[in-house]
Amino acid sequence: MRTPRQVDIDVTNRCNLRCKFCYHFESAGDVGRDLSTAEWLQFFEELNRLHVMSVTLAGGEPFFRSDFKELITGLVNNRMRYGILSNGTLITEETAAFLKQTGRCNFVQVSIDGSKPDIHDYIRGSGSFEKAVRGIEICKKHRLTVDIRVTLHKKNIHDVENIAELLIERLGIHGFSTNAASYMGLCAINSDALSLDTADRSVVMQKLVDLNKKYDNRITATAGPLADAHMWNRMEKARRINGENTKPGSLTGCGCVIEKIAIRADGVIVPCNMLSHIELGRINQDSLEYVWQHHPMLEKMRTRSGISLAEFEFCRGCEYIGTCTGNCPALAYTTFGEIDHPSPDACLRRFLQDGGVLPVIDESRQTME
Amino acid sequence: MKETGKPTANPMLVLREEFDDWAILFDPDTGDAHALNPISVFVWKRLDGHHSVDDIMSELVKSCDDVPENAQTEVIKFIDELLEQGYAGYEI
Ligand code: SF4
Ligand code: SF4
Repeated sequence: MRTPRQVDIDVTNRCNLRCKFCYHFESAGDVGRDLSTAEWLQFFEELNRLHVMSVTLAGGEPFFRSDFKELITGLVNNRMRYGILSNGTLITEETAAFLKQTGRCNFVQVSIDGSKPDIHDYIRGSGSFEKAVRGIEICKKHRLTVDIRVTLHKKNIHDVENIAELLIERLGIHGFSTNAASYMGLCAINSDALSLDTADRSVVMQKLVDLNKKYDNRITATAGPLADAHMWNRMEKARRINGENTKPGSLTGCGCVIEKIAIRADGVIVPCNMLSHIELGRINQDSLEYVWQHHPMLEKMRTRSGISLAEFEFCRGCEYIGTCTGNCPALAYTTFGEIDHPSPDACLRRFLQDGGVLPVIDESRQTME
Repeated sequence: MKETGKPTANPMLVLREEFDDWAILFDPDTGDAHALNPISVFVWKRLDGHHSVDDIMSELVKSCDDVPENAQTEVIKFIDELLEQGYAGYEI
C-alpha cells in the first residue's frame, strides 16, 4: 500500500479525567503538550494529498479541545471520514448535532466500565458514569453511530452481566466491544489492583461467551478475554487434531502497520499509539509518505510476520506453536522491552500452566468479531 | 451521456492507487469504496473537463498494446455510471 488508509491521531494530550487504567498517561504518548489548530490543519492537507480515507481522533479526550469543530471541519474539507474515541462526558447536544451534520462521522466510541456509578466511577472519577450515559443518549438522539467499549478489570468482571443488560436492553445499543486493562501507562502503575489474573480471566471469558449466547453475538473483541477465548479455543482444537505435527507459526499477531499509522499529540509519527516510544518522524517536517514507504522500523515491523516462533526460547516445546500468532507487539514490548517477541499476556501455554480454564464454546453459534 | 461532452470527476471523491494499477474510488460522504480496474483508473484520471470520450479512447489506444474490442462501450458505460452516481458531471 503506497500510503496509509487510516491514521490514528492523539489530537490532544489533555483529558478532563484521570482513569486509573489509562494507557495514555505515563506512557511515551504522554507528551505534555498539544499542537496548535494551524499545525493540525496543515497536516490534514497532507493526508488529503495522500488520499487517506479516515482518521480516528483519540487522546486524551478529543472533545476537550476548544477548537474541536475547526479540526473536524478540516478533516471534512480534506475529504476524510472520522471516528472519535471519547470518555463521553463532554458530549453536548450542540456537539452531537454538529457531528451529525458533517455526514462524515463513522462512529463515536464511548467507554462504559460499569452498570452503575460506583463501579464505573471507581476508575474514572465521581460523576463520570452519569455524564457518559447522557453522552450516549445524546449521540443516539442525533442518530450518530455510538460504539461502546467496555474495559474489563479486576473490579468490574462480576458486573459484566449487568453492563450487558444496561447497554443492550436499557440503552438499546446494538452491541459493544470489550478489551482488558493492559499493562501500559497508568495501568502499569495500578496493575496489582486492576489487571486480570488467570482466575479472573477464566471467569470472565466464560461469562462473555455465555452472554454472547444470550445476546446473539452482540459482544465483540479484537483483544482481551473474549478475543483470547476464541483464539485459544481454536488453538486447543488444532492441538488436539494435529498433535505435534505442526509447522511453527510466526509473529503474525499485528496487522497495524499494513494499513494505518499513528500520530502523537506532539505531532510525532509512531507506528501505533500503543507503541508511542518508537519515533518515526514529525508531521509537517517529515513527509508522511516517505516515512510510510521507507522508514526502516516500519519495514522491520511489516516483516515481523516472517519471524518463526521456533526462534524463541520462550516457545520451546510448546504444543500450540503451530497456530499461535505471538499476538500484540506492544504488550511484548511493555513486558520484555522488545517488539519482536511473542506477547506473554496472550500466551495460552502460560495461561494453562497458571491454572487457567478455557471456556466452553459452542463454535456453531459464536463469532468473534 | 453526451458523447461530445467533456466530463469532470467530482473533486470530493478520493482515488487511492493501491495495488499495481488497480485503485479504490472512495466516496467520503457515504463511506462507499469501489474497486477500479486499470482502464477505469486511466479514464478517471482524464475526467478533467478537457477530454471527451473520443479523446480518452484515442489516448487509451496509444498507451495500451492490447485494448479490448469492447473498450469504447465499457468506457461509456463506466462514465455513465459515474454520472448517474454524481461521481462525475459536466461543467455548466
Ligand atoms: S482513559 Fe481516556 S478518559 Fe480516561 S484518562 Fe485516559 S484518555 Fe482520559
Ligand atoms: S509458548 Fe505461548 S507464545 Fe509461544 S507458541 Fe506457545 S502459546 Fe504461543
